[in-house]
Amino acid sequence: MSETAITMPGQARPARPVPRRSWLSEIPDLLTRIVAGVIATAAVGYVVGFTLWTVLISFTDSTLLPEYNFVGFKHYWQLLNSRIWQVAYLNLTIYGLGFILGATGVGLLLAILIDQKIRGENVLRTIYLYPMALSFVVTGTVWAWLLNPTIGVEQFVRGLGWTQFKFGWLVDRDLAIYCVVIAAIWQASGFAMALFLAGLRSLDGDLYKAAAIDGASPARMYLRIMVPAIWPIVVSVLVILLQTAIKTYDLVRALTAGGPGIATTLPTNVVYDYMFQRGLMGAGSAAAVMLLLSLLIVLLPYAIFQRLRRGKGGGHG
Amino acid sequence: MKASLFRTTGLALLAACLAQAPATAEPRLTVISQWSAGSEGAAMDAFGKMVTEKGVKWEHSPVSGFTTDMMNKLRADIIAGRPPAASQLKGPEIKAWSAIGATINLNDVVKATDYEKNISADLAKIHKPKGDWIALPLQIYRVNTLFASKKAMDKIGATELPKTWDEFNALSAKMAAAGITPVAHGGIGWADTMYFELALAGISADAYRKAIMELDDKSLRGPEVLAAFKQLRQLTKWMNPANAGQHWSVFLPALMKGEYGFLMMGGWASGVLKKGNFEEGKDFLCGATPNNTGKPVFDMNADGMIFWDTKNADLLAGQKATAQVAMSKEFAKAFTQINGSIPVRTDIDLSDAGFQDCQRDAAKNLSGAIAANQAIMSLGHNMAQTSPVTAALRDVLTEYVHNDKITPEEAQKRLADAADTVR
Amino acid sequence: MVEARSLSALGSRALLYAILIAFAAFYLTPLIVVILNSFRSFQEITQTSVLGFPQQFRFDNWAQAWGSYCIAGICSGIKPYMWNSLMIAIPATLISTLLGAMNGYLLSLWRFKGANLIFGIITFGVFLPAQMKLVPWAITLRNLDLSNTVTGLILIHVVQGMSFTTLFCRNYYVNVPQDLIKAAKVDGAGFLQIFRRIILPLSPPILIVTVIWQFTGIWNEFLYGITFSEGSARPVTAALMALSANIAQAREYGIESASVLIAALPTLLVYLFGGKYFVRGLTAGAVK
Repeated sequence: MSETAITMPGQARPARPVPRRSWLSEIPDLLTRIVAGVIATAAVGYVVGFTLWTVLISFTDSTLLPEYNFVGFKHYWQLLNSRIWQVAYLNLTIYGLGFILGATGVGLLLAILIDQKIRGENVLRTIYLYPMALSFVVTGTVWAWLLNPTIGVEQFVRGLGWTQFKFGWLVDRDLAIYCVVIAAIWQASGFAMALFLAGLRSLDGDLYKAAAIDGASPARMYLRIMVPAIWPIVVSVLVILLQTAIKTYDLVRALTAGGPGIATTLPTNVVYDYMFQRGLMGAGSAAAVMLLLSLLIVLLPYAIFQRLRRGKGGGHG
Repeated sequence: MKASLFRTTGLALLAACLAQAPATAEPRLTVISQWSAGSEGAAMDAFGKMVTEKGVKWEHSPVSGFTTDMMNKLRADIIAGRPPAASQLKGPEIKAWSAIGATINLNDVVKATDYEKNISADLAKIHKPKGDWIALPLQIYRVNTLFASKKAMDKIGATELPKTWDEFNALSAKMAAAGITPVAHGGIGWADTMYFELALAGISADAYRKAIMELDDKSLRGPEVLAAFKQLRQLTKWMNPANAGQHWSVFLPALMKGEYGFLMMGGWASGVLKKGNFEEGKDFLCGATPNNTGKPVFDMNADGMIFWDTKNADLLAGQKATAQVAMSKEFAKAFTQINGSIPVRTDIDLSDAGFQDCQRDAAKNLSGAIAANQAIMSLGHNMAQTSPVTAALRDVLTEYVHNDKITPEEAQKRLADAADTVR
Repeated sequence: MVEARSLSALGSRALLYAILIAFAAFYLTPLIVVILNSFRSFQEITQTSVLGFPQQFRFDNWAQAWGSYCIAGICSGIKPYMWNSLMIAIPATLISTLLGAMNGYLLSLWRFKGANLIFGIITFGVFLPAQMKLVPWAITLRNLDLSNTVTGLILIHVVQGMSFTTLFCRNYYVNVPQDLIKAAKVDGAGFLQIFRRIILPLSPPILIVTVIWQFTGIWNEFLYGITFSEGSARPVTAALMALSANIAQAREYGIESASVLIAALPTLLVYLFGGKYFVRGLTAGAVK
């Protein structure tokens, strides 16, 4: 297949006039290829360049501006031994798992329920999906109001008569991270729902019939037959949610400011704090690099999985 | 090749600017600050008006949100080689940032006035880190300000603000017994840090100076710091833990209603109370936070403005005119009346109706503290240390406030250890 | 028997709707709170709480937020900043989508050695945290002489956006049969002609997805918006931050709420009207 592409340039010039000439066909083909190549190179160069630059800076003693005095792994050891990084890392694990599984679970549940030929599907779908249009700053601010025990839901429910009602997760240092999870699920689960719903709708009708003939219960039908059939979409959802989880920063900033104390700090907050608040660019870069390295722990198995799947599927995709 | 091309263009542009300068002396000032709205924004607008009256075009771009957002903007502009003519900056950060970007020398402008004679020497030092004036303080806030709810005080029959921590603890115990939450505190990093510094400064200003401002290991591990952690633990017991993470202004209505007893917050809180139509004496009492030292203590937060070298004649003219305004007595009055701070100059008469008693008290407090050598710089407000140090200490302090499983002894050890890693 | 069964069917149907409506309430609550606050006065909110029904519906928060609230002495509300954001978000969205489609086409249909590696690297770009790239961007913009320009911000969003748009488009185009391309090549069509005649007509679903994704992301971005813009050229997110107070102020909840709603309107509309296609486009295999 790749040979075709490589032999193309020789025959690129049309031997006979292409019907319906447009101004586009006046542009020499070679030029368009070069332009396409440059664009792709820019996209690659940006990722590689910025990443390598950050790695480089992480080994220097840069403070307010990048400088090039190398200090080896100093920042890495200091960070690994610092309390804030350990807390942040544990938080990322809790938040990442909670958010990804939660948003996936809620999204799947809603997709299945919406798929039951219900009335008002369009309205409900829009309601579930709209939070995706908002920024994390807005989400964080509003949920900070709602989850705050003195002004939010707790107060509201007490006002309705349940005077003993308690919901103080946001101010509990062990539970506050779950508030971040709730707010993030609120924002992204509609998106997961949309993807799953799209997947379910794209399935062959025969699959339903076969399942119905088997006399499978609805729950069994979905969990055993439908979900495996949309497995690629499940993986897609997980990947999109993973990048959201890793990059979450302003949600925490708006919702808890990292508190109570330092209880809800995430690694991205540490990166921001070191790079900009403390003005320690070297250490901040080291934190960013460690965050990206931890990503590889998740991504590498996925890449291997993809490769295996592709191997089975016969080279398509 | 590329770089040299840019350098040449830069030089050409520069030459063009310089050549044109005499002909087009149109003084202007580009300035970035955090002060976009509210009384801070209004004070800044008043500043701009005074500068404009001097014939300078005032171009203010506020970068709100966190201080870091403004710093990012400043950094990007310095990297781009075109910093603003002036930017808000304070404390030891003035020294740190002046190392990465060229500043102008204000010595001539300052020396032409009696300004330097009439401000605190410690404060002056911060604004001339290497001996030359490169920045000017604009206002001072007393961080160690105590606000008491009149209603709560009435309920327990108290009429005067507590003078010492023992008195404070006694009054708070009475309030707690009367069903009042003694301390209104939300608890975000900087505010938690501030509560620690108020405890320590009120126990020993000398220890604060040594331990926090000089990071002296012996003092950090000494008895005064331990006592401060114990007092802080006592304070946390008088807070409502459900308030974590809330902005202090949220509590003001409840404080005025007498549901809370005390709020410790910088003088800016009086500006917000004023805006909410609450009156000093009738709704609240205002004074210095408890102080065991017997002599006045003043915990200082002073915002300043640094002047960057822009090599542009118009901007240079604008900077000079702006500096003159910022040092004037008229500015000192106008700026501080709007936002509730006190003037940098100690020779300003605050008897005007535009000032509140709370401001007058703070100004008197400042003069007294300078005389007693007990005017100290706030840690929580980035006046005592550079940001890396502040942040390292803040992490320990904020965790301590929100985790009562950490003992004062353990916290003291963590604080001293944190200082070791950043010293 | 039949009755009992239909009764239980009715019951499960009721349960189904109950769950769906409960979730709808969960998703709508924050929006309702913000909408209600946008009609309440500063005094009312600070004296009661941020959750509550307006004592009377006041529209002055909206009027102030839109056209008269003062930011740095300029009393024009967030109206001019909305325009700025559009001037950044629209070109950046269109260009990054177009370039992403080109990349996707190049990487999926002109398969060459290393195409997968290149795709992998570009995809890795979606994981880079924004904080990490701030200083490199500042340096890049300086070198291109684009500091503090709208063009500079557009460039940033285009280059960063390409990671997402390439990911979406490449995975979509992978499903286009190679035979189509081969036939076109035999006909003598070139690189660009195949893209225009064959690929683009197949693309609307995925292009709508990328446009929605990009527009929302760029519109809501504020770190770069604050850092790489100046004065009156600020995007609306930066103006929103200027509205929200710093430590020395009490917050203007009412005006903030109205501003947030106004600022979110374009993206909400995009989801409202594009949402249907969004779902459809994603089905077509956006992310696999």
